[in-house]
Amino acid sequence: MRILLLLLLPSLLFAQSRATLSGYLKDASNGEALIGATIYIKSLSTGATSNVYGFYSLTLDPGTYEVSFSYIGYATQLKTIALTGNIRFDLELMPEGTQLEEVVVSSEKEESGSKSLEMSVNRLDIKTITRIPAFLGEPDLIKSLQQLPGVSTVGEGASGFNVRGGSVGQNLILLDEATVYNSSHLLGFFSVFNPDAVKDTKLYKGAIPAQFGGRIASLLDVRMKEGNNKKHEVNGGIGTIFSRAAVEGPLFDSKGSFIVAGRRSYADILARPFVDLLQDGAALNFYDLTGKANYNINERNRIFISGYTGRDKFFFDKNQGFSWGNNTGTIRWNKIFNDRLFANFSGVFSRYDYSLQFGENERDNFRWNSSVRNITFKPTFSYFVNTNNEISFGAEVNYYSFEPANAYGTSNGTRIDVSLPEKYNLETAFYLGNSQKVSQAIAIEYGLRFSHFAGLGAGSQFIYNDTVPGIRRTPISERTFSQGEKMITYQNLEPRFSIKGQLSEQSSLKASYTRMAQYVHLISNTTASNPLDVWTPSTNNIKPEIGDQYAVGYFHDFGKDNMFEFSVEAYYRSTQNQIDYIDGADLLINQFLEGDLLSGIGRAYGLEFYLQKRVGRFTGWAAYTLARTELKVNGINKGAWYAARYDQTHNLKLSGFYDINKRWSAAANFTFVSGTPATFPTSRFVMQGILIPYNAYDSRNNVRLPAYHRLDVSFRLEGKTVKKNGSPRKNSDYWVFGVYNLYGRRNPFSIYFTQGDERVAAGSPINSEARQLAIIGTFIPSVSYNFKF
Amino acid sequence: MSRIVIICLLAVVVIFSSCEDVINPKLERAEPVLVVDAWINNLPQTQTIKLTRTQPYFENIVPPAVAGATVTITDENGVVFTFTESNPGEYVWVPSGTDVFGEVGLNYLLIVQVNNETFVAESRMGRVPVVDSITFFKQEGNQFIDDLYQAEFWAKDPPESGDAYWIKFYKNGIPQNKPSEIITAYDAGFSKGGNFSGVEFIPPIRRAINPFDTDENDRLLSPYQVGDSVSVQIHAVTEAAFNFLNEVSIQTNRPGGFGELFSTPLANVSSNIRNTNTNGSKVVGFFNVGAVSGLGRKFNSLDDVTE
Repeated sequence: MRILLLLLLPSLLFAQSRATLSGYLKDASNGEALIGATIYIKSLSTGATSNVYGFYSLTLDPGTYEVSFSYIGYATQLKTIALTGNIRFDLELMPEGTQLEEVVVSSEKEESGSKSLEMSVNRLDIKTITRIPAFLGEPDLIKSLQQLPGVSTVGEGASGFNVRGGSVGQNLILLDEATVYNSSHLLGFFSVFNPDAVKDTKLYKGAIPAQFGGRIASLLDVRMKEGNNKKHEVNGGIGTIFSRAAVEGPLFDSKGSFIVAGRRSYADILARPFVDLLQDGAALNFYDLTGKANYNINERNRIFISGYTGRDKFFFDKNQGFSWGNNTGTIRWNKIFNDRLFANFSGVFSRYDYSLQFGENERDNFRWNSSVRNITFKPTFSYFVNTNNEISFGAEVNYYSFEPANAYGTSNGTRIDVSLPEKYNLETAFYLGNSQKVSQAIAIEYGLRFSHFAGLGAGSQFIYNDTVPGIRRTPISERTFSQGEKMITYQNLEPRFSIKGQLSEQSSLKASYTRMAQYVHLISNTTASNPLDVWTPSTNNIKPEIGDQYAVGYFHDFGKDNMFEFSVEAYYRSTQNQIDYIDGADLLINQFLEGDLLSGIGRAYGLEFYLQKRVGRFTGWAAYTLARTELKVNGINKGAWYAARYDQTHNLKLSGFYDINKRWSAAANFTFVSGTPATFPTSRFVMQGILIPYNAYDSRNNVRLPAYHRLDVSFRLEGKTVKKNGSPRKNSDYWVFGVYNLYGRRNPFSIYFTQGDERVAAGSPINSEARQLAIIGTFIPSVSYNFKF
Repeated sequence: MSRIVIICLLAVVVIFSSCEDVINPKLERAEPVLVVDAWINNLPQTQTIKLTRTQPYFENIVPPAVAGATVTITDENGVVFTFTESNPGEYVWVPSGTDVFGEVGLNYLLIVQVNNETFVAESRMGRVPVVDSITFFKQEGNQFIDDLYQAEFWAKDPPESGDAYWIKFYKNGIPQNKPSEIITAYDAGFSKGGNFSGVEFIPPIRRAINPFDTDENDRLLSPYQVGDSVSVQIHAVTEAAFNFLNEVSIQTNRPGGFGELFSTPLANVSSNIRNTNTNGSKVVGFFNVGAVSGLGRKFNSLDDVTE
């Protein structure tokens, strides 16, 4: 802490008698804030980038400067600014046309990979996401992430994603700062983010700023569109799975704007006339609704309100079925205290819940609801000290309520409440960081986050017996706590550090260290996480997960106007208190859940290569990751290291986009992933007429599945831009034709071992088989139509 | 609990189709291990303990028998039950007259001596509730399935938590024992943490006594038709045996398809048999002694179907 202050002190002292240029950068066509746009002063070789709200601030000696404002895909503007005192300078940049002949590469260099201090970060803008060939033609944010280096998944249909050896539950997914606990619709086939409402996606795989914490693998920061404040606009589409519509437009004389976007699957609507079950109350659908509005109170104050609700519903009849969904709400207040102090105050609500119900009548039924919710207050401040220092500080207070089971069952008229007690927790964090340009060549970012976690009563704590690791532990004593009493506390200091050394105009070396602590855990022992997995807080028996990550990288831009961006990063990650499970663990509605959990350590390391061509008729990227992810848990694999289920030695992703002519464009994806680990038996035995597999070496993940590879392609046809009579059309539209898994490979998801399906007479030999399963065993064509007016 | 949930989840993704191929992967070689299959009950019939050895996973023949062993069970009062070898690897105890094996509440010790090694296991004989009745109900067919006539048994778990059961059923006298037909109950519910005690078994357990088979066109067959008979037996098991059976179910009941998304890794099921010499050879298997209750009913006519 003291070191941090010493580092900051000189910058604070020298901050006098200078002038500040600050303001917002926006898109001229719709008023959307530009995130990460570059403000550059060539004469001083210095500059700044706009923050997530489009705000920038540069403090300089008074004088007259030629300032360039640039953003990828937008025409750069050069302004001569006489800086005699503090100046507020808001600017709108014009997007470059999407038509081929209009592609003009700006004369100024973009803020490229090698220049920025950030590492281990990937950004995907929504334009890219919608161009990647998608499963059933539905553009999908989470699936698009899987085209990036260092990101993997256990397979098709699996929800979530794995980053640098982290599990699905170790990713923090934020939608306008609200935690999204389950990012999937329909198990894992689609994600909950509506592409019409998303503006910007940034995945931090490491080097996570001190502002963020709470998960140990990654941060996925999804920012919603603010809505067009120039004119009303309607976007929509009809796809294979979803129909979508989005409306946006100005509010209060363009002092504000709004967007509302909805999607619904409609297979059930189409099937309803033909399927009696659907008319009798059965349901099979999923939908989401995203909305956001903002209002500029004045030059210094702006407020945003955003929300999301989504649900998956599956009912076999009126009374039986289940559903799950996320609800989030965010209120934000951007306040510019002065030209150099920018603040944002966020109040966030997030809830994930599911419910399950069975039984056609009152005498015999079962109802179960479960939820996790949190309310967050998060003030954050950026203090733009001078061109060389940007201090950030703030706090985060999270109040959690976990409701593992609010459930009852009625059996032949007798009702039994099987609810489990709710759990309450308070997670508090403070952080302070500085992003500092030490010299023309060296920039550093350092910060410290202090996090504190408390378990609050009323509740019970159990002490479990010690047993052979891997065997269920049973409680031997219980301690109860009264309302509001502190049951357990944990705290962690989480240092963050990044450094960049500029080797040349085009190349740099970067390194970072990140420590993260995670206090709430996703309890899931299945291959893919499922919607009914429970989140549970740290307790006396479940220690916070800790992750340390070290990364180094080399970044190089080359080609005409730096059209190519290359990077290679190496990382090493070690984790403590990783949660694992005993064999046969009972994770649902189990008050003694903790007795079924194991704790271990993890290590992951890898090398990520990334090459992107950013401009031209042909764009795209290649990402290759060489990696290893291992766990060591007492009670599994005889306590020795074993490869995690999502360990992938080779992971190659190619994405390419090509503009064929004015109206047609093509895109293709290729994925190659070497086989993921699996456990095979050595032997078998028969007990009570049932064939049981046996692994004589008690090993876990002792073999590899065959490799996975897949090619997807899509073609996009832009609608005509002129009417028959030659006048320009007001509306625009496009078609997308795609094929997923073009060559129809039956990619292995798993190999499992089973006895045959036939009934076997007592005393006869039982047949055993190994079966290889492909989730998607064929090519899947799709077509979608999208419009805008 | 989780098994039921997964079955429901699977219903969700029927709109897609997965596909499976039978393959023949090469497996690691392993030495055979002694297998003890010792499930003893108080039915008035011959009690059998089978000793075999593990075999390579793809060796589709009857498991090799372990002959020449000495097998005894001793109760906590010192009464010894000697099991004699009737067929190779099959050791039996035959009750005399109306005698049955054991007494509820007593502890039993199994001793197996093979090739100068001694293997032991303990079990306590648990109680069971009586089966009050069996009823038939009809699940109305729809476009996709025919009418399904299903059986349901009615029994009430005794008060006080801590009973565990293995429920077996027979169709026309034939035991139904596919991996998907392993039915267990802890008190009246699925699991210890579930807290269902002292009530009628919960509906998914009561209705689990139905064999679901398909015809050659993959059409689901009605579990029972007029003329069929069904009988159900509730076997008391220890908590360790209950855990074991659930592990067996997880490891062997692999529905495949999208179920693989929610499968857990292959792992060895537990065993309560141990070698008295901890450095001696390995052993797998299970020993359980439990009381049994049962009831049977014939599906005589459609009048037997209750609303």
